[in-house]
Amino acid sequence: MPKLQIDAEVNGRKISREADPHARLLDFLRDELNLTGTKEGCGAGECGTCSVFVDGKLVKSCLMPVAKVSGSRIETIEGLAKPGDLTPVQRAFHKTGASQCGYCIPGMVMAATSALRENPQADIEEIKERLGGNICRCTGYTKIFEAVEIAKAVIAGDMPETALEEDSVEDSYIGANVRRIDAPSKVSGRLKYAADMKMPDMLQMQVLRSPHAHARIVSIDTSAAEAMDGVACVITADDVPGKDGFGVFVHDQPIMARGKVRHVGEAVAAVAAEDLVTARRALAMIRVEYEELPGLYDPADALKPGAPVIHDYAPDNLVKHIPVRKGDTQKGFAEADLILEDDFGTQQVEHAYLEPEAGIAYVDPDDVVVVISPSQNITHHRHMLAEIIAKPINKVRFIMSPVGGGFGGKEDMIYQGMLALCAMKTHRPVQLNFTREESLIASAKRHPSRVHYKMGLKWSGQITAIEFDMLSDGGAYGMSSEGVMRKAAILSCGPYEVENLSVDTRGVYTNNTPSGAFRTFGGMQAQFATESMMDMAAEALDMDPFEIRRINMMKIGSSTHTQQTLETASLDRVLEAAEIASRWEKGAPRVRGAERGDLNGPDTRKPCTLGARIKNAAKDDAKTTERVA
Amino acid sequence: MLTCDNYHLPTNLPEALAIWSNAKTGSRLVSGATDILPWAREGRAGDVHLPELIDVTRIAELNGYSFENGRVRLGANTVYQDFLTDQTLMRSLPCMPFCAIWFADDQIREQASVTGNLVNASPVADGTPAVVALNGEIELTRLHDGSVVSRQVPVVDFIEGPGKTQIAGDEIATAVILDTANGYGGSFQKVGQRRSLVISVACSAALVKADRDGRVFEDVRLALGGVGPRPIRMSEAESVLRGERISHALIERAAQTAADTVGSRSRKEYRREVVVNFVRAALEDALANQPEVQVDFADAKEKTHA
Repeated sequence: MPKLQIDAEVNGRKISREADPHARLLDFLRDELNLTGTKEGCGAGECGTCSVFVDGKLVKSCLMPVAKVSGSRIETIEGLAKPGDLTPVQRAFHKTGASQCGYCIPGMVMAATSALRENPQADIEEIKERLGGNICRCTGYTKIFEAVEIAKAVIAGDMPETALEEDSVEDSYIGANVRRIDAPSKVSGRLKYAADMKMPDMLQMQVLRSPHAHARIVSIDTSAAEAMDGVACVITADDVPGKDGFGVFVHDQPIMARGKVRHVGEAVAAVAAEDLVTARRALAMIRVEYEELPGLYDPADALKPGAPVIHDYAPDNLVKHIPVRKGDTQKGFAEADLILEDDFGTQQVEHAYLEPEAGIAYVDPDDVVVVISPSQNITHHRHMLAEIIAKPINKVRFIMSPVGGGFGGKEDMIYQGMLALCAMKTHRPVQLNFTREESLIASAKRHPSRVHYKMGLKWSGQITAIEFDMLSDGGAYGMSSEGVMRKAAILSCGPYEVENLSVDTRGVYTNNTPSGAFRTFGGMQAQFATESMMDMAAEALDMDPFEIRRINMMKIGSSTHTQQTLETASLDRVLEAAEIASRWEKGAPRVRGAERGDLNGPDTRKPCTLGARIKNAAKDDAKTTERVA
Repeated sequence: MLTCDNYHLPTNLPEALAIWSNAKTGSRLVSGATDILPWAREGRAGDVHLPELIDVTRIAELNGYSFENGRVRLGANTVYQDFLTDQTLMRSLPCMPFCAIWFADDQIREQASVTGNLVNASPVADGTPAVVALNGEIELTRLHDGSVVSRQVPVVDFIEGPGKTQIAGDEIATAVILDTANGYGGSFQKVGQRRSLVISVACSAALVKADRDGRVFEDVRLALGGVGPRPIRMSEAESVLRGERISHALIERAAQTAADTVGSRSRKEYRREVVVNFVRAALEDALANQPEVQVDFADAKEKTHA
């Protein structure tokens, strides 16, 4: 491969480097120039974390072959301000708390900078439009837009510089706007996430993943891959020296598929090589022979007699069943004036944190196996890995790198074990950076759930009994399913006092992508069913939805579903605050006509429309042109 | 991951045509590269190795635009962002700014060229209906006996199906030639799963010229994308409208003719419903966008659509 010669100006400095002909500007900035403030969130132009200026125009560096920038002027997040300084946009992001996990933030700061350079008078609609190419999963964008508006006002001189400083805190930090201490490192792009870290002599790892949902592995032939120049090692389940198996509750998942694969995307083998291209080419040389097995794709099928068995230890395919019983539901339903029954379903959801999984492992001079990764559960990972690699706990170390968004999705040790094995086999540092596609296919998802709900009520609105039966798709491995089922059961019937209840939550194995932890940990799926039932009950009883909730809400002294007596309770205040803030129009759902009076009031987020800059330009035009009516 | 043996950046057309005609089999032309890079990834083409990539964006002859006989010739290096920043293009091609604002995002519009979008021939390309509404032709250039020769093909014929066009193996698409439509109102409609960075489920473009009094459709151009393998020019609906008194009832009648143009096999019923609403909205938006004309509907409603 003849190399390209790239001469360019980067952040005011002339550079001259060689590059591979296929390299993207993103690779060049990160690998050749160590400008790792420019992130790779998707590699497909969707997320905006790699945004940089080329000749003054904002582009996505993952979509730009590096050859295109020869002779150009490039500006990255590192070049916006002088070292030790921050621009008004960066300071505004710090001020408003716009940076949370921080992974989208360099790209977001670049897009905000571009928006204000292109139109220093851009209104909020135009700002939103100009930030449309950048995704954030933490903030809901509100604080980001707030930051851009403050920066705009300061730059225009409409607000004093002091507007960028921290608000003073009076008596209490509670309720005060306190700046995050890690924000400057994020808005400047200086914070190093796992994929940004480099070690001398470091190998790149790539993972071969299963194309089948359920199949027996007949054979794996890694010889051709191992024979390739530049390949340092190939690993399979056979390389695991200790007792294989990890999981948040049940250790049912091997480091790599052992004997059979249980979902599409499961790791089967991994290669560590001198560079990424060699590692990927070596993967293509590994031959795996599979014998496909009948699969399970619907959780209801998993419980049927004679269903295929996914894990030998669980012949009934049950991960966990959590039953909760309180009072006497038969009696409660007998006392009811009205019984409502319905079914609710929720879907699989991906966390889509902007930072794809990444990590580095190495063996230190004292034979300590060290793993650096954005793990949300390092202590547990450390204990599990020690058993898997048959080392005492003091010879295993986990370092938690900054987490570029987790939301529960980085609790599972789905790649750290493979990194450790490669480091042990080569005694060289090894890095693995997931692609976005790999993150989607291999990481846990929110449990898809189905709830059958039966609720008995008096005409007064009081709940007399609930039967709540949830079936959740746990996917191929247990991961956090047990805890999720437990939380779903505990929270099942909501913050309402129910004298008679019968709750069952079941998580089952299927050959779908494993389900795991995700914000609310099962609470969302349960509350969707319960709160929908409350609204439907309000409609059936001709009551105000707030009213029916007040009648049933837990108070001080109430007994919870698991029969704990509450010493404090705040639902009354929560309901009142929600009612006021939403400018709630009182009354039963059916009293309103086609239009509600309480929608779209102040503080309601308006939908983003497109074309703000065209409309604004036309408005400016109209000011200067006389219209012929 | 996309890899290649060679990446060329020719700076003039004869050089580019020579490299292209001598390129090894499997080599590709690259314009903005915003489609080829995501294409070579897991779930689409996977890892792809190509012998040569020939980048056209430094070819001087492909820069800029020029006007001739009521038409504008957009060099192949014209990118979508140009329709949002160049006042002359915005005035001359009134549907293009609205098409551009729905196309990808600000960053990608700086790189993605109209010509590249057409040559990719995606049935859901945002640019296609807008170009078809402007009676677009694509200019294809090759070397013949050592000299540079060009031909022009109407875009509506050029795109034959998903990824299939009339371009020959040794040709480079060098320009798109469009009608200028100064004084027309333009609009663009699109449905997708979100606003920025989304591939259309269906899209449409409209150009409308009402008379000075805003009472009669003097000219109407309508085109649809995403509803079949090829771009669709809605000639029937256009002839229903052309020369007629402007009214909501007439627009409705024209809109209904759109349903039968849907040839897509997937989500057909949804697309049939969408295109009817599209055509109605496209015409109303384009009428509202026409400069210096106050439209007078024969059956004006109390409260017309904004």
